[in-house]
Amino acid sequence: MRYIPTTEKQKEEMLKEIGVSSFTDLLKDIPDSVLLKTDLNIPGPINEQKLTERIYDISKKNADFFSIKPLVGAGAYRHFIPEVVKTITAREEFYTSYTPYQPEISQGNLQSMFEYQTHIAKLTGMNVVVPSIYDGASATAEAVLMAMRLSKKNKILVSSLLHPHYLETVRTYTEPHKTEIITIPYKNILTNIENFEKNLTDDVAAFIIQSPNFLGGIENVSEFARIAHQKNILVIQVIAESLSSGILKSPGEADVDIVAGEAQSFGMDLNFGGPYNGYLASKMKYIRQIPGRIAGETTDKNGNRGFVMTFRAREQDIRREKATSNICSNHALNIVAGNVYLSLLGKRGLKSLADLNFKSAHYLRKKLLDTKAFSGPDYPFFNEFILKSDKKEETIDLLMKNGFVPPLDLSKFYPELEGYLLFAVTEIFTKKDLDFIAGLFSR
Amino acid sequence: MKLIYEKSVKGRIGFSIPEDSFDEISVDIPEYAKPHKEYDLPEVSEPDVVRHFTKLSKLNYGVDDGLYPLGSCTMKYNPKINEKLANLDNFLYAHPFAPERYVQGSLQIMFELGELLNEITGMDKFSMMPAAGAHGELTGVLMIRKYFESKGKPRHKMIIPDSAHGTNPASSAMAGFRVVEVKSNERGGVDISELEKIMDEDTAGLMLTNPNTVGLFDENILKIADIVHSKGGLLYYDGANLNALLGIVRPGDAGFDVLHLNLHKTFSTPHGGGGPGAGVVGAKKELIEFLPSPIVCKNEKGYFFEFPKNSIGRVRAFYGNFSVLVKAYAWILSMGPQGLREAAETSIINANYVLAKLKDYYKPAYDRTCMHECVLTGKEYKKYGVKTLDISKRLMDYGFHPPTIYFPHFEPYAEETIMIEPPESESKETLDSFIKAMIKISKEARTKPELLKEAPHSTPVGRLDEVKAVKNPKLHY
Amino acid sequence: MGYKIPEELKYTKNDEWLKVDGEIGTVGITDYAQDKLGDIVYLEEIEKGKKIKAGETLTTIESVKAASDIYSPVSGEIVEVNEDTIKDPSIINKDPYGKGWIVKIKIENPAEIDKLMTPKEYSEYRKE
Repeated sequence: MRYIPTTEKQKEEMLKEIGVSSFTDLLKDIPDSVLLKTDLNIPGPINEQKLTERIYDISKKNADFFSIKPLVGAGAYRHFIPEVVKTITAREEFYTSYTPYQPEISQGNLQSMFEYQTHIAKLTGMNVVVPSIYDGASATAEAVLMAMRLSKKNKILVSSLLHPHYLETVRTYTEPHKTEIITIPYKNILTNIENFEKNLTDDVAAFIIQSPNFLGGIENVSEFARIAHQKNILVIQVIAESLSSGILKSPGEADVDIVAGEAQSFGMDLNFGGPYNGYLASKMKYIRQIPGRIAGETTDKNGNRGFVMTFRAREQDIRREKATSNICSNHALNIVAGNVYLSLLGKRGLKSLADLNFKSAHYLRKKLLDTKAFSGPDYPFFNEFILKSDKKEETIDLLMKNGFVPPLDLSKFYPELEGYLLFAVTEIFTKKDLDFIAGLFSR
Repeated sequence: MKLIYEKSVKGRIGFSIPEDSFDEISVDIPEYAKPHKEYDLPEVSEPDVVRHFTKLSKLNYGVDDGLYPLGSCTMKYNPKINEKLANLDNFLYAHPFAPERYVQGSLQIMFELGELLNEITGMDKFSMMPAAGAHGELTGVLMIRKYFESKGKPRHKMIIPDSAHGTNPASSAMAGFRVVEVKSNERGGVDISELEKIMDEDTAGLMLTNPNTVGLFDENILKIADIVHSKGGLLYYDGANLNALLGIVRPGDAGFDVLHLNLHKTFSTPHGGGGPGAGVVGAKKELIEFLPSPIVCKNEKGYFFEFPKNSIGRVRAFYGNFSVLVKAYAWILSMGPQGLREAAETSIINANYVLAKLKDYYKPAYDRTCMHECVLTGKEYKKYGVKTLDISKRLMDYGFHPPTIYFPHFEPYAEETIMIEPPESESKETLDSFIKAMIKISKEARTKPELLKEAPHSTPVGRLDEVKAVKNPKLHY
Repeated sequence: MGYKIPEELKYTKNDEWLKVDGEIGTVGITDYAQDKLGDIVYLEEIEKGKKIKAGETLTTIESVKAASDIYSPVSGEIVEVNEDTIKDPSIINKDPYGKGWIVKIKIENPAEIDKLMTPKEYSEYRKE
């Protein structure tokens, strides 16, 4: 086996040094009745060439996704990824290392965490950033648990326009903690502020609002935060499409307390849903209750700058059942991807790209409405919007036939939105592409 | 080394912004969402970025650089072909909301990997959803919780050995269980008589890592399973150390009801500087209905998602860390049944070899043959003023990544612990040079303790001030 | 290792000490405890005026490598909190029995004091 260097002769030498006559002597702790008596019934070994062919063939059973572009986002966005992101994350020093337990030989990872924390701190307007929770949904669930610990209350208000999969994850995580979850309905594709106010009672721990929301709508987060804070209720903003932070007011400016984000748009492939990279950010005063690994700056014995994992006493290896969370391994390599991506784009790049997404989406919506095949509400949105098609199935088929992953059929998440489709438009579509799409519907 | 922000020069950019031909769009974002403050990301060119991150990478130590014997982390070689196969375009660009008939290839990988893992572990169905080991634990204990609730008899306690990794109690607490600790006996296993005393009908079960964190197979496993099952409890298998058992023992045959596997440990997928890995969860028949939804199934028409009827729900937005699954799938097929067993055998021989060669210099926590990792201690060197920490730091000067230290910890056997896991991909020559370095360090500890206390001497930075990092927190530039 | 164990104090199994002054008890952690914790970096804020029972968690203390709860040795009302140690908990490392005290409690049930360890018992308990 080419991954195992030890030869038969060496094995014998080693067994001799150990002081046993055969390998089975090393298994004497294992009860005989559980020892496998036969080989596992699995295929292989297959050689590298055959393996390549086999998996290549399996991949061919997928659609030709490079060419078939998605008109759907809903928490997973196809953006262009500069090759440099791949080149750097393919360096063995990044992808074959592990958690920086030994900072002296992990400064690459630690400094990268620190830089990425800086990017996210700037974009969110927050002082504490946990650069990696598994994904946006689990980060949201962790934010809810964090808010419950901070407030010592267990009732939460959730906008009905939080990504339905995120809400489901929140329910899974909070189910053992007797959390009462009240969903706030929407009105004109934005969270209903009157209903929100009505539900504000003293026993509420936190309010969770996604902006841009699941249907793309840009929420007035500042106003929700102002009202919530009058009742000392924590505000958690969820950001599933982080590219929006290129042009929208930051959560910090809106006086949000905790941000739970999904950074997939920052240099991560769609990959059939993962690995992506969630992040958490908060005001400094909440640092003891935030879960996950954080890098901090310090100095070495010679006074040189260096970075370490810090505020470690929150974590499971020190605090066991009293830890803020069980999280340890996260999606660290995606921190490097996000760091490289945001460094390449810089301020100008991120702003221009976000602006382009905003405009492209508005362009397609206008073009589709012009065909009269669609109708839909007017509301402020970023790069996703909903439109109603009277012939939903035909619309989906037509788009698939013409080489697109169709927009999301909303009826399975919101029965009242029967006939509505959720479109996403990013920079991967040129104006010509969008004209072509609209052209499919104008006879 | 400078931060990327300290290399910023106004006017530079590292990205080619696509053309904006949408001048006719005059819609603006609403007033309430317009920023008042500007954010300033760094302004750097593409070559600046490449040089910066290349330089940063060189401050790291990876498996491709040399021995990385972190105990219970299984830092084995990450095959290069697997990286390529996980990055095929049709996988990479697959949208999670694409129709099922567009993603038959991805679903096939998920389904077949589950079947392979069923055979390897003796379980009946896997969920690919959990992102990491701890995420898998949470999933597994939530399933156990739901199992008892669905019977109308919720249980409230979870038993965890004192030798367990910290995630076990943390996951149980997240799942609402009260954690009850069971002590280890003098041989390093679960104390059976104490387990008998604390196992009752309000206890949902026991979470066990086997081989445990001391590198020992719990010889009483069948008794343990009996005690837990006789009170109606369930046995959870923490798969962190499965590498020792591939093709030798299947947890499902030893009485375990639900488990998670760390694909980034046993199944060779890279650790990525701390992730992404995958913490897939396997269940016996009675527990399949509680798996997180959706799971991948197959019928005559092809592969499809199914939603188990009593599912605990989602634990994340989508189906799993797909690229990690491809790598694990590729590794299993490359190894085949004999290869898997050879991996386990070699890792066990490696660990026992290191133990045999070092036990005269570093007292073992338990003087027994071990499985795939061995636990030594640095107790004797305390009298020279040398701590285990100093020994581990000195190892860096010899070009090795230090082993896991100070874990596990339980007195009087396992204090000042050094937990060494030399996986199957390490050659005898590598182990011999590591052993030589460890012996040399033991001599230095006696004769030149200062050399160890000041170590490492050859790394990009010296020992860092962790107290300062908490007292004067600086968490961003 | 020769930890300081002052004669005039009472001790708990969790390494807290209690100094009794009439109906007021002062609480801190022992020299042994501060040494085991290492550099203390954080002491969670404590609410003055709160009533607490013996054995309940008073606060949480953290060093860079460890964290542990501090339990109240006796029941009663917290009448004073040492804000100086909250602000700079490293005082506890320097002077665990003096400036590093944590709270003063108005003792509700003096009988609880007798249940605590004497210096001799504690010294025996923490013998290396």
